Amino acid sequence: MENQKFIQTKKLSTLIYGMIGVGILSLAVSFLIGIGGERIAANLLLNTYYFLALGLIGLFLVAVHTIAESGWHTSIQRIGEAMSAFIPVAGILMLLLFVFGGLHLLYEWTHEDHLDEILLKKVAYLNAPFFYVRFAAYFTVWIVLAYFIRKYSLLLDQSGDLKYYRKFRIFSAVFVVVLAITSSTSAWDWLMSIDAHWFSTLYGWYVFSSMLASGTAVLIILLIALKRMGYMGHVNKEHIHDLGKYLFGFSIFWAYLWFSQYMLIWYANIPEETVYFYERHKHFSTIFYVNLILNFATPFFALMTRNSKRGALILLPVSVIVFVGHWIDLYQLIMPGVVGGEQSGIGIPEVGITIGYTGLFLFFVFRSLSKAPLIPKNHPFYKESLEYHTQY
Amino acid sequence: MNRYITAYYLDEENLLKGLGQLKAKGLKIRDVLTPFPVHGVDKVLNMRRSRLTRVAFLAGAVGALLGFGFQAWIFTIDYPLNIGGKPFFSVPSFMPVTFELTVLFSAFAMVIAFFMSNQLGPGAKALIHDERATDDRFLVVVEVDDSRAEENIREIELALAEAGAEGITIKA
Amino acid sequence: MYTSPLREPLIRGNKNYKQVTDDILSPMAGKPSKYWYAGITLAGIALLFGAWATFRTVFYGIGEWGLNKTIGWGWGITNFVWWVGIGHAGTFISAILLLFRQKWRTSINRSAEAMTLIAVMCAGFFPLIHMGRLLLGFYIFPYPNTRALWVNFNSPLLWDVFAISTYFAVSLVFWYVGLIPDLGTVRDRATTKIRKAIYGFLSFGWTGSARHWSRHETVSLILAGLAAPLVLSVHTIVSFDFATSVIPGWHTTIFPPYFVSGAIFSGFAMVLTLMIVTRKALNLEEYITLNHIESMNKIIILTGSIVGIAYLTEFFIAWYSGVEFETYAFFNRAFGPYAWAYWIMMTCNVITPQLFWFRKIRMSVVLTFIISIFVNIGMWFERFVIVVTSLHRDFLPSSWTMYKPSLVEVGLYVGTLGLFFTLFLLFIRVFPVIAVAEVKSVLKSSGEKQKTTDHE
Repeated sequence: MENQKFIQTKKLSTLIYGMIGVGILSLAVSFLIGIGGERIAANLLLNTYYFLALGLIGLFLVAVHTIAESGWHTSIQRIGEAMSAFIPVAGILMLLLFVFGGLHLLYEWTHEDHLDEILLKKVAYLNAPFFYVRFAAYFTVWIVLAYFIRKYSLLLDQSGDLKYYRKFRIFSAVFVVVLAITSSTSAWDWLMSIDAHWFSTLYGWYVFSSMLASGTAVLIILLIALKRMGYMGHVNKEHIHDLGKYLFGFSIFWAYLWFSQYMLIWYANIPEETVYFYERHKHFSTIFYVNLILNFATPFFALMTRNSKRGALILLPVSVIVFVGHWIDLYQLIMPGVVGGEQSGIGIPEVGITIGYTGLFLFFVFRSLSKAPLIPKNHPFYKESLEYHTQY
Repeated sequence: MNRYITAYYLDEENLLKGLGQLKAKGLKIRDVLTPFPVHGVDKVLNMRRSRLTRVAFLAGAVGALLGFGFQAWIFTIDYPLNIGGKPFFSVPSFMPVTFELTVLFSAFAMVIAFFMSNQLGPGAKALIHDERATDDRFLVVVEVDDSRAEENIREIELALAEAGAEGITIKA
Repeated sequence: MYTSPLREPLIRGNKNYKQVTDDILSPMAGKPSKYWYAGITLAGIALLFGAWATFRTVFYGIGEWGLNKTIGWGWGITNFVWWVGIGHAGTFISAILLLFRQKWRTSINRSAEAMTLIAVMCAGFFPLIHMGRLLLGFYIFPYPNTRALWVNFNSPLLWDVFAISTYFAVSLVFWYVGLIPDLGTVRDRATTKIRKAIYGFLSFGWTGSARHWSRHETVSLILAGLAAPLVLSVHTIVSFDFATSVIPGWHTTIFPPYFVSGAIFSGFAMVLTLMIVTRKALNLEEYITLNHIESMNKIIILTGSIVGIAYLTEFFIAWYSGVEFETYAFFNRAFGPYAWAYWIMMTCNVITPQLFWFRKIRMSVVLTFIISIFVNIGMWFERFVIVVTSLHRDFLPSSWTMYKPSLVEVGLYVGTLGLFFTLFLLFIRVFPVIAVAEVKSVLKSSGEKQKTTDHE
């Protein structure tokens, strides 16, 4: 099994097209059975944002490991690069959503005739033109940086020339800094402004940590899927163990930020802040607790032992749970503000549209994987990854 | 009165190779002393997986229950106080101390278990076979079968020499 | 295990195991240099200043300080948080860098951990002394008492008690367990009977047995796994002191991770300050190489940038919130009577670490030393700004006033600096400053010569 590229089988294609079909059908059915525009828009935002974030995190993991001079990560770096292929797609979908009525349905600060005194104070930031300018800025920098990182990664692999390695590193460093800032500001724009009367300084980092845990989970799922299809034979238990440690650690980090934000707002008990959690605790209480069980309790207890992280037996189901769990996390970030307790639920739009987006995401991931050899043989640290064994 | 023979290597890779040979010849290796942990030696000595991890987990669980339970009891039964309008059973407030006690109990229990299982501690006497075992020598300590001492000693010395060890010494 | 030739060696000079032992242990032998004597004399004088200030505070009360009704916390608490923050680098290096398998930590972790313990001691002094009635300090612990009272578990200040105590205890244990094998080495090389006896006692009977090593590695790994969330939790709980309140500037959700980043930021700066001098004075430049300094500088950019982003986030959200008190608090910090403190903080914390993006500066020992001092100055001012500016102007304008430290408060701070350097200078004479066994364990993979066995 020398250096292969991924080859998409008919079976996989059928599955992916099927999933996309389910998505489109669910969207149509949702309109037909009279599901409110707010709820449909909220689902479209949720999924577009979720899979966009997965793409950004995939690239972020590649970039961070590159600037940290990590050896072991080179074996799986193609997966992160592939996840980032969805970023431009998400940009287009999000633009369509906003332009064709989504902006008005999702954000109360766009209802210019109903702005109360609090929203009026934020008008300099929360107005449609500036919103679109920022939107364009985010996607421009993300797409440009993703393009160059991928370009130099492939050039390095084709030629082995270290000048491409240096460029790969520089663009990785720039991307990390850019993402550090834009992940927060985009979360404020697209998610926090849904509850425009509310605010939290930790919000940007909280959302980032959620996506980081989920992105790691998805990377693990993709890796195991590829291994089961006969690829990535050079990836051994040590690599998987490291990814398992990340999933464990990032899940705990997410829980830590969740608790920080919740406890500080609970403790001071200032009504304009607590109303956020009051709403969620009252009308979305099951989701509120399920969120913690899926995203913290499960990975914390299931991944504590050493062996649990070294193979797919426990790691795969836990990764799937975390993937679903952070979708739920996003759900409770978006739905209460857009739709409210009465009109929301987990039904055809939620399940069907998510399946559709998953299919679409997988389409672009596998397409990217098939475009380059899975093993970055000429990466200067690849040999370390190949002969990788640790003591603990 | 158990006698033993010590010998050393100057390099850990040679040590591992030598240990493999000695084991194959059926020698009873009592101990291996090194200046830093060498991976692979534990397999040669058939060491069990340490139970320290289980001690750590259990002690941590005890610490968590104790910490949370104690705070809950104080604030709901023994002496409830209205602090800033917070409920008596104020779960978010209890989390920091619960977490700290979990870590404290876990760490201390494990370290105490570590000292006890290794029989290390203040005042413990170190049996020093070679003062350079903590410097740059990798020592092997082989047990002598006292029932056929003379013959066994010769066998062991020969085996050690063949396995590349130096400084072969008979210790009482 | 294969190491890419692209990696810089971590131990220079083609050392073998014996040389590693000799090089690291030699500063402990013989008489200390005149610089050491000069250092400890200066530190001792500072300590005496602190002793005087402590006497004034204990005998004459907190009135000796510059505090008033509006500004109830000043230099005392600023110093507390500053020292605790500095202490975080040691555990970060020992625990978190261990979990991330960063081999370069092996030549700095011992000193950094010692620094942590000393810094936490200096930190713990301030809550104690600010109580006024020091002799009743034990009230903060929940023990059955004749007052039929328990402590207030709803208070972040009480959470601090548990956090700092646990942190000190676990750090001490982690440091000492790691030190034991090296103490065995010192014992075995001791030339006098007294030294042999003392280090024999301290080394707890360590022999280097493979069984012991195996359990030692397990313990170190689990302690690292425990200490990693612990170090995050301690500065988080300290941040809760300033995040759980309702006054502007003391109520914001970003504090926990922002404080933790700031702590690692200032801690690494202090490690750099100490290590740059130590490596020169003790001839350990082949172990604490430019590569190590560069790696620490990269962590400074990372954590400094996180702190900078947090400042900008707080500033933006203060406006975005529409809460006029919050907006005023931040406006006042930048343009009010304490603006000088604010701008020192911004310059030192946001601008100076960004200089490390330039390789020339990262690799310069002199510039790193200067920048590390500026970082610590900046982080002191950050705590000062958070504590004092939030208090001096909150909701009631008639209560607005200013704060100036008294000589006694300055003396206490200088005293802790004296304590810190005194204890550190003693440390380097009594204990090996580098983890001998750990450095040997990475010598083959990361030493200058990729060593091979002597057969083939």
